[in-house]
Amino acid sequence: MMENSEDTKLIRTACPAHCGIDCCGILAHVKGDRIVKLEPADFPDERDRRICLRGLTSLDITYHPDRIKYPMKRVGERGEAKFERISWDEAYDIIIKNFKEIIEKYGWKSIGWVLGGPGAGTTKFGAYLRLASLTQSTRVSAWGYGDAGLPCGSRVILGHQFPYMHLHGEFWQRKYPELLMVWATNPAEAMPLQNMRKVMDAKEMGTQVIVVDPRFTVTASKADDYVGLYPGTDSALALGVMNTIFQNDLHDKEFISEHTNGPYLVRTDTGKMLRGRDVDEKKADAYMIWHESSNSHKTVSRSNIKEASLTGTFNINGIECKPVLQLLIELASIYTPQRTAGITGVDEDLIIKLAKRIASSKKVIFLTHMGFTRTYHGDISLRGVISVAAITGNITTSVSSGYIPATLNWNPFLKAIPDKPSFHRIGILNLYDAVISGKPYPIKALWFAFINFLNQCANSNKIIEEFYPSLDFIVQTELFMTPSARFADLILPICSFLEFSDFMAQPYPNIQLQQKVIEPLYESKSDVTIVSELAERLGFGEYFKGSEEGLIDLIMANRTFEGITRETLKTQAVLLPSLPEGASFPLSFRTPSRKIELYAEQLYEDGEALPVYLPPIEAPITPGDKKYPLTLINGHSRFRTHSMFANVESLLDLNPEPLVDINPIDAEKRNIKTNDMVTVYNDRARTTLKARVSEGVKPGVADITEGWWIEQFKEGSLNHLTHDIINPIQDKIYEPNMHMNDVAVEIIKSEGERK
Amino acid sequence: MSTIKRFGMVIDQERCIGCEACTIACKIENNTTDYWIKVETQGRAVKDTPEGKFPNLTMNFLPKLCNHCENPPCIDSCPEDALQKRDDGIVILDQELCTGCQSCLTACPYNIIVFDDESNLAGKCNFCAHRVDQGLEPFCVICCEGQAIYFGDLNDSSTVISQLKSEKNSFQLKKEEGTNPKVYYIPPRPKKRL
Repeated sequence: MMENSEDTKLIRTACPAHCGIDCCGILAHVKGDRIVKLEPADFPDERDRRICLRGLTSLDITYHPDRIKYPMKRVGERGEAKFERISWDEAYDIIIKNFKEIIEKYGWKSIGWVLGGPGAGTTKFGAYLRLASLTQSTRVSAWGYGDAGLPCGSRVILGHQFPYMHLHGEFWQRKYPELLMVWATNPAEAMPLQNMRKVMDAKEMGTQVIVVDPRFTVTASKADDYVGLYPGTDSALALGVMNTIFQNDLHDKEFISEHTNGPYLVRTDTGKMLRGRDVDEKKADAYMIWHESSNSHKTVSRSNIKEASLTGTFNINGIECKPVLQLLIELASIYTPQRTAGITGVDEDLIIKLAKRIASSKKVIFLTHMGFTRTYHGDISLRGVISVAAITGNITTSVSSGYIPATLNWNPFLKAIPDKPSFHRIGILNLYDAVISGKPYPIKALWFAFINFLNQCANSNKIIEEFYPSLDFIVQTELFMTPSARFADLILPICSFLEFSDFMAQPYPNIQLQQKVIEPLYESKSDVTIVSELAERLGFGEYFKGSEEGLIDLIMANRTFEGITRETLKTQAVLLPSLPEGASFPLSFRTPSRKIELYAEQLYEDGEALPVYLPPIEAPITPGDKKYPLTLINGHSRFRTHSMFANVESLLDLNPEPLVDINPIDAEKRNIKTNDMVTVYNDRARTTLKARVSEGVKPGVADITEGWWIEQFKEGSLNHLTHDIINPIQDKIYEPNMHMNDVAVEIIKSEGERK
Repeated sequence: MSTIKRFGMVIDQERCIGCEACTIACKIENNTTDYWIKVETQGRAVKDTPEGKFPNLTMNFLPKLCNHCENPPCIDSCPEDALQKRDDGIVILDQELCTGCQSCLTACPYNIIVFDDESNLAGKCNFCAHRVDQGLEPFCVICCEGQAIYFGDLNDSSTVISQLKSEKNSFQLKKEEGTNPKVYYIPPRPKKRL
């Protein structure tokens, strides 16, 4: 690292871009009031020192000529992007006036804060939550714009929001397994540092790496073998793998007995777990097992669980019962290699080899993320993968050793006044109905922060034609005139990450300060400053004392961070407290049974108690059998973090425009060649862009990487093609997800458009 | 061990994810308009597309930059002495002396020297000599996402790059040209199929 010199100051900060967990430490070189260079900053473990090509170009965002420089109010029609400069005072006056009118008619509840992914940022998110809590207005949760499917599945089978620590916590601790299953995630582009480097480190240490994905991604190119399946068929593949494992008796019975609800009895008549009350046991709610040696049913206990039958059919007081595992085996038995191959498009032999390899490996780590859960039944896909991990004993404790995951002090943000009600909560996909039809209650004003809503949410035409016109007032905090900002009534200029401070508990096992490097440019302010100033005017100023720094101290007020202060973090990243060598914690799950629930009785009526395979809602599985025969998916590009960096010239030089990747088989049928302009269409919209003919996508699949701005397409955009259909079961479990990888389209060559 | 340094680079294709962070890092560090490092999708006309038939595919990346040849043909081609090989082996193109005649572009068998129409000057990777002279690594090395680029003294057998160069089937580009590049590549490792 270079030393401070007379004219150059070095300031350590961190990139909060929404790759989230990468969160690279950045060393900024400052001359006078200008940042002249960014480079990767040091970490306690030098292997964590890193930056990506997006982070490198951050100055192109900070000093971008198109930055929104001052508050602006709309003077044209929504969408026309005609705005007029106003002062901050005027902006706050407009907000208060509009809020007051709406509150008088509909109450605070009808004002919603749409907070996108804050990336690794914490207080910029927390500030809005705190104000929403104080005003009892509506927090619009943004999990549902792609990230709700995974928590839905994880909550059902593990009882946790995320499955990551249970699936690959050891991977993050650099403990590499014999086999690494990279299931439907492309860390090489989406999480190159925190995950992909470790994939390659693992490989160097001898780990065999297998990638499961509909696209032959960069990650797949680094793998030892590749399993290319149809989008939305992951749970079928999981069942196919389980089929071979069960057929060959390769499952880990000890683990299943001890850590899953596999031995628990299910009533075949009601589909519910057999409980003590069903058989006149004292413990009415207790789960029951079939005790093998005594040939009788018993209330489950720690001492008898290993003696429970995992298979069979039992008649208990006239009630027919089967252990959960028996039901799972019966389900998997249908998914023979042949049948699974027919659904997934994966070679039969490969499925068998994969299953045997998973079952025979001493240790398997499953590295996964959100992509494959962005299908209509994506939550069950995750349960399928976790079921494979569970029946082979590859679920680990969230903390087995190493460092204790950070716990942030979220309480003052989620509930600003302990004995008063807090904000209302609505999922972003439910928001469409709330705004358009007033269901479950009317939302009249929306404040969008760190979200490019129109660009990144499903079914653009519906948003433009029905959603926006139903709103009385729209505020957007933004750096740029994004496709969404064009529809705002009021635009508030915010800082780039180099102009304000925030706290980050990333990348595991480090914590960092995103330290303000320069003063906010132009008239921009941080989200925290804006919220604090608005709160002051609403009479809640005392809750935002100290603005950014005050909130950082508040969110750090947890014993995980004992002895670590904001001051300490100004010059270094700090490692989280570590556990003593050999310390281990029991596996614990927050499901109703406190076990990994291979069977979720609460979903029996929905037909989803087991990790069943249900076909995608729209994506065609058998190519050619529908009006729209191709499945459209959207991968992530290394050139963007969602829709961020889409306007950075140095990146556009390398990757100038949106492309749709299609397989040569599909291209030939349609007489399409690389660089042809093509139109991708369905009943919702037409999107015109350049084609790239590539073997990198499975036949029957088309891929447009997400995040390109609407105006970068010749016509339409990616999300003009996607749908906003709600999966009611996800709605019931947690929050419905948008299914951007479950979309059917056709593609035709655009006439006379070839460049 | 020789006391004369011979700086070189080893690029491990197994770890290169083709992200082009090196390309961007170089452009920023050297404030160039053109690219002094270009990442090719090896053997492919269309970038980022694999070779083969789905699902039996391969894709490898090959970052290309000045090879800092032991026998650099570009030096003899330059009428202005703008190209020089330093004692440590780094081949420098001094843009102060360049008149834009472009003879080096033709002389380089690797087609890696670029010409900027605006400034009317040739340009190429100087191994970040300005950083190396301060004891730092070239900027692309510390910005490489995959940790695929190694830099150091090839004359010192104890350096990581000397070991990598000798241990892992390293190869040079266009060896037959006799230029003896100081940039070595390690090919991807064999796959352990299921």
